[in-house]
Amino acid sequence: MSTRRIHVLPDAVANQIAAGEVVERPASVVKELVENALDARATRIDIALEQGGRRRIRVSDDGTGMGREDALLSLDRHATSKITTAVELRAVRTFGFRGEALPSIAAVSRLTIETREAEEEAGTRIGVNGGGITGVDDAARQRGTTIDVRNLFFNAPARAKFLKSVAAETRAVSEVVTTLALANPRVAFTLTSDERTLIEVPRAGDVAARVAALWPGPEAGTLIPLSHSERGVEVLGLVQRPDVARPGLRRAHLFVNGRPFRSPAVVRAAERGYRTTIPHGARPWMFLFLEMGGGDVDVNVHPAKAEVRFREEGPVLEVVESAVRGTLQGDASSATFDAQLAAPVMAVREPRPATKPSADQMALFATASDQGEGGDAAGAQTEIAPVGRPRLWQALRTYIMAETRDGLLIVDQHSAHERVLFERLIRAFERGGQDGQRLLFPLTIRLTRAEYDLVEELGSLLARAGFEVEGFGGDTVIVQAVPNPHPYFDAERSFREMVHDLTNGSELSRSAKNQHERIASVFACKSAIKSGQKLDAREMQELFDQLFATELPHHDVHGRPTIVRLSTAELERRFDRSGTSHGG
Amino acid sequence: MNFTITRQNLHSGLAAVSASIPSKTTLPVLSNILFEAREDGVWMSGTDLDVAVRVKVPADVKEQGSLTAPGKKLQEITRELPDQPVEVTTRGDQIELKCGRSHFKLNGLPAEEFPTLASVDFSDAWDVEGKDLHALIHHTSFAVSTEESRPILNGVLWELRDGEMRMVATNGHRLARMGIPAGTSGAPSADFIVPPAALQQVQRLFKDEDRLSVAKSGNHLGFRAERTEVFTRLIEGTYPNYDQVIPRDSDKLAIVDKKALESAVRRMAVVASDQTHRIRMMFEPGRVHLNVLTPDLGEGHDELEIGYDGEELEIGFNANYLLEVLRYMPTDEVKIAFKAPERAATMEPVPADGETIDYLCLVMPLRLLD
Ligand SMILES: Nc1ncnc2c1ncn2[C@@H]1O[C@H](COP(=O)(O)OP(=O)(O)OP(=O)(O)O)[C@@H](O)[C@H]1O
Ligand SMILES: [Mg+2]
Repeated sequence: MSTRRIHVLPDAVANQIAAGEVVERPASVVKELVENALDARATRIDIALEQGGRRRIRVSDDGTGMGREDALLSLDRHATSKITTAVELRAVRTFGFRGEALPSIAAVSRLTIETREAEEEAGTRIGVNGGGITGVDDAARQRGTTIDVRNLFFNAPARAKFLKSVAAETRAVSEVVTTLALANPRVAFTLTSDERTLIEVPRAGDVAARVAALWPGPEAGTLIPLSHSERGVEVLGLVQRPDVARPGLRRAHLFVNGRPFRSPAVVRAAERGYRTTIPHGARPWMFLFLEMGGGDVDVNVHPAKAEVRFREEGPVLEVVESAVRGTLQGDASSATFDAQLAAPVMAVREPRPATKPSADQMALFATASDQGEGGDAAGAQTEIAPVGRPRLWQALRTYIMAETRDGLLIVDQHSAHERVLFERLIRAFERGGQDGQRLLFPLTIRLTRAEYDLVEELGSLLARAGFEVEGFGGDTVIVQAVPNPHPYFDAERSFREMVHDLTNGSELSRSAKNQHERIASVFACKSAIKSGQKLDAREMQELFDQLFATELPHHDVHGRPTIVRLSTAELERRFDRSGTSHGG
Repeated sequence: MNFTITRQNLHSGLAAVSASIPSKTTLPVLSNILFEAREDGVWMSGTDLDVAVRVKVPADVKEQGSLTAPGKKLQEITRELPDQPVEVTTRGDQIELKCGRSHFKLNGLPAEEFPTLASVDFSDAWDVEGKDLHALIHHTSFAVSTEESRPILNGVLWELRDGEMRMVATNGHRLARMGIPAGTSGAPSADFIVPPAALQQVQRLFKDEDRLSVAKSGNHLGFRAERTEVFTRLIEGTYPNYDQVIPRDSDKLAIVDKKALESAVRRMAVVASDQTHRIRMMFEPGRVHLNVLTPDLGEGHDELEIGYDGEELEIGFNANYLLEVLRYMPTDEVKIAFKAPERAATMEPVPADGETIDYLCLVMPLRLLD
């Protein structure tokens, strides 16, 4: 006779096991507790750490609070007020839904809950030790909840061993709070660590203001709003102007339906949207808020809910890429002289009808209805593209100056023409190639062996770029036809330099996505009108019109700006004219 | 220096010279005009160092001398003066103008600071008819190159041969060549490459009826009629062998009405790409079809009846080049000759019986990719 070996674990043990997944370190405790506070519609959340959270984590909120019965229930596994059916799980807008966090934390710490509902006369204090309730008392307090977690992992030494230094744990907590603060700009947050204030942000109207409060440095002023909707996915947020994107540390925060998530693939997609507008290796800041139907994203795939699974990832990535791309087409993405850029202004979305209470925390951005359906990026921005035909003049034989409604545009003639030629050749490649002008006096050009081999290898692509090249024996080629991009075009030099770059590699040729882009960008760079070239009024106008007809008029192909703005506001500031007294 | 001159003479002299003054210069004296009062009149000179213009205007010279003075200001003042004699005198480096009750003093610079103009010796000069020179310049200089890596092509080739002279200009995409049986006397057999800016001055300052003396000294060429001289630096180097690239084996000939073709091409050009300005021409017996297809923009089609009985042939051109060349064709009908889509096409006037016009334009085609 066999003995029964399988048995259901007592709750205390089950909770400890679950804690292993949910509660890894102080940061995960903070995340769960702050999320609970947010779900309880708090408007202010204070977090205090002692010794990086090892000794103590206290999270207090001014949310709904719990009645005594609920407070006791909240410590039971799978006790949740947030969903009741599996169907709701799909549409869930709250951070929590598993009913797992509190019991898991309680199982590995000494925990106190203090809470009071508005309607109740007395609040409740519950003490828990390693999962076992040690006492339930009345507590005098205001509406809201304070959860006090002491001696984390006191009964799980194996886990305690994995904790890192106080500084590292504090950093991780700070990161969690930052992320949740971004997702909830209308909630005030403070984070203190051993009495030191690390984060203190007041309630804000929108994400832009929250970003400015979290990072008081210059970065907030370099962000431009993004708003794009396509195929059932809405992307809102802030991305950095290409001209200020730098290599190195940056902020990239992603949210879907208000919930933070990690996804290198989405970040990469956004970076693809930047292609050709930033130098190789530059890492732009980005804050992207995706909104989509609950059925299109599964948030229940990761114990800490740090990752999500899209029903179809491909289209989401494409929408993100085109959202960023579209934003970079807008005038706001051009470089500027303005020193004091206001953080971008974003209107606030009307709360969406939601099945669950806290859905309005997603109300961060201008709605489609403010901008016309689908709210394209350009519509959200100030109109700086010149209206009508601005007067153009050339400065230093290098820059084209134009007056617009809001100030001055300074266009680098070479960079601008690069952008024009690049896009033109890319488009020409898509349908065969661009015409070559046959030469009356063909060019005879000597190349190095390596260059010759390259020309041979790329012959058909070069031909599609307009260069008709024939081998001549030895290392010499004959160029029979060349493109004719402008009247000052030095075909021989352009060809030589192109071949040289393509053979020996250059930053430009390395950063290209494919052979077409590589040839187009090198061609554009080597063939565009040079600085120092005097242009007449008609030529300037033509270049200007062509530039604004491109997809990304504000950015050249090296990741440099083509246009720098100087706004009237900035001029007024510099001349101290901002006061009306100066007006006359 | 002291002379009296009519307002009209002063004004026309200044107008002739000031067009040769550079509008912006780092050498301040170049924005001045050099006045030289001689027994027989007053010479005024201006230069941008490449081209110099010198004109003589009648004046009553009381005291000879020379000075330079700001050209543009003088011109503006003279324009506003009443129509009375102007007395011009110098006081040190100042020039003084008196006309009726108007009185001006302008700061000048000593004549010695003015660059010495190319001294062209006219003793070996040969003669050219103004109208011949004008015809050559007009029909060819439009074709010079604006691209600066081959300076030779930035000039117009002027060939002098026994009993004939020619001008040729090209930018490597299209070429214009005109020849005239020259009634020149004593001309050397020589080739000059002349900057178009100088030829522009020649066109502007000399009349059809003028008989010009032309002379070369060192690297400079001088043109002179009665009271006007133009000097220019020549572009050095050897002009490419243009004759060798003018096709002689074109076996397809079309006779086309110039105006009709011009307006058809102009219509097509509206829809052509703003970069290559490409149009396609499909020749078939009795007819040419013009087609434009520009992705993202649209397409156009036109056709013309022409004199053509060759094989069908399709060839692409930059519409701007065609229009340019057509504009200078001096006859109502033109002859277009070609051989293959990748070979040069030539265009020549079709003169009335008995007349000959030695004029040829060549246009290189665009390579058609599709
Ligand atoms: N700060 C709070 N204010 C009000 N109610 C709270 C608070 N914290 C927890 N609760 C209540 O306790 C319940 C259990 O919380 P817990 O975090 O364990 O589960 P959950 O948030 O529902 O789901 P999850 O495990 O996914 O976080 C919640 O459903 C909520 O009703
Ligand atoms: Mg929770």
